[in-house]
Amino acid sequence: MDMEQVYAQRLKRYVTAMRNEKPDRIPIRPFVAEFTAKYAGYSCQQVAHDYELAFDAARKCAADFDWDAVVGNMVYVWTALTQAISLKYYAIPGIDIPPDTGFQYLEPREESAHMKPEEYDQLIADPTGFLFNVWLPRVARDVQPMGEPTSFRNNLSFLKGGMAMMQYFGGFGVQGDRLRRESGTVSAIAGILKAPLDIIADKLRGYIGLTMDLLERPEKVLAACEALMPHLTQVALSGADPAKNVPISIWMHRGCVPFISFDHFNRFYWSTLKPIIQEIWSSGHQVLFYAEGNWNAHLDAFAELPDQSIIYHVDQADIFEVHRKVGHKFCISGGIPNYLLGYGTPDQVRECCKKVIDGVAQDGGYIMDASAIVQNDAKVENVRAMTEFTREYGVY
Amino acid sequence: MAETQNTHRPPGTCIPWEEKKKELPEITGDKDLVRRQWEQIDGLAYIYIWHCLLSF
Repeated sequence: MDMEQVYAQRLKRYVTAMRNEKPDRIPIRPFVAEFTAKYAGYSCQQVAHDYELAFDAARKCAADFDWDAVVGNMVYVWTALTQAISLKYYAIPGIDIPPDTGFQYLEPREESAHMKPEEYDQLIADPTGFLFNVWLPRVARDVQPMGEPTSFRNNLSFLKGGMAMMQYFGGFGVQGDRLRRESGTVSAIAGILKAPLDIIADKLRGYIGLTMDLLERPEKVLAACEALMPHLTQVALSGADPAKNVPISIWMHRGCVPFISFDHFNRFYWSTLKPIIQEIWSSGHQVLFYAEGNWNAHLDAFAELPDQSIIYHVDQADIFEVHRKVGHKFCISGGIPNYLLGYGTPDQVRECCKKVIDGVAQDGGYIMDASAIVQNDAKVENVRAMTEFTREYGVY
Repeated sequence: MAETQNTHRPPGTCIPWEEKKKELPEITGDKDLVRRQWEQIDGLAYIYIWHCLLSF
């Protein structure tokens, strides 16, 4: 079978599972990040700071493990780009942290948040203008605030950042083509989404600041979420798969119980995310809910979405409960704990895979993956055990 | 923020064409071509800032 046939077979397998139907066997789609560096013989610094090395490591893993689908570069954050823009909030391997530690996101202290509580009205009135004129000068060392004298470095930040971002995103297209031609591997996702409330916590007010705002100025928080909605929808759709095969991914962070209350989830998080998902689905695209942590308190809310509109990825939650509550509506992925891949034995990994497959995959609609993104603490033999067991046992 | 307060920027735009064309003399050639090219490149700036927020 030539690679194009392999690719077509894998795409059909992956898409069939994502539509919550039964393919020929369970697709294997591990979200492997720094693990690829470990396997390919690179440091975390190399795959974070040189995306061509990250692409190379991803291709090597895809070919050697014979996976059905991967992300072209799950490390994703190209730290040379963030350095060129002069973003403050990353700890870069080999510069700020040891070269074999994965890059880190640094959330500022509450009093140093990237957006001040009194700035909600500016964000609400003009989100794009606020990002350029207020937020970016605050998060990028070289970008001068509005009204301040410009500088050589200010100008370079935009020029280098813009050109590098185009180069990088263009590189993903080449990477997808190489994965397809060289190993018949499907690029697993296309397009990015985050929930409005998560954006406010992650990049604007910080988590602590947001929780205070939910109590002290809830109407501003809701208005800000509503103002972000059309932009987040636009960005998600702008990167989506034109063939409508693979999903847009949403990275779900701190919008669930116990980070916020059940009431706040319903009034702020879900009320402003659900319409985005519905609009994306009405455009013909699925969304992969990458539910980091445990979101099982909110499964009833997610079940309000149309059948097949999402793929639900399970991290630390009870995957069997997820299957009972939403398995009839949505494909499920994940559920193999990362601690097991890091500290368990191949036999323990196989046992866990069997339990998950027996419990949630009998009627199709399941994709094998670890619980969370796989970093360099995972043992190669355990990732191999997960892969080979699923390939043998996961045949329908 | 003075520059931003009176500007309505729909998703996908930084400087809307309606605002930009006020600065131009009368376009004697293909108006739609000028508009399309303006919006396409303007959209790249929009992608830049929103991906700074979302991706990086």
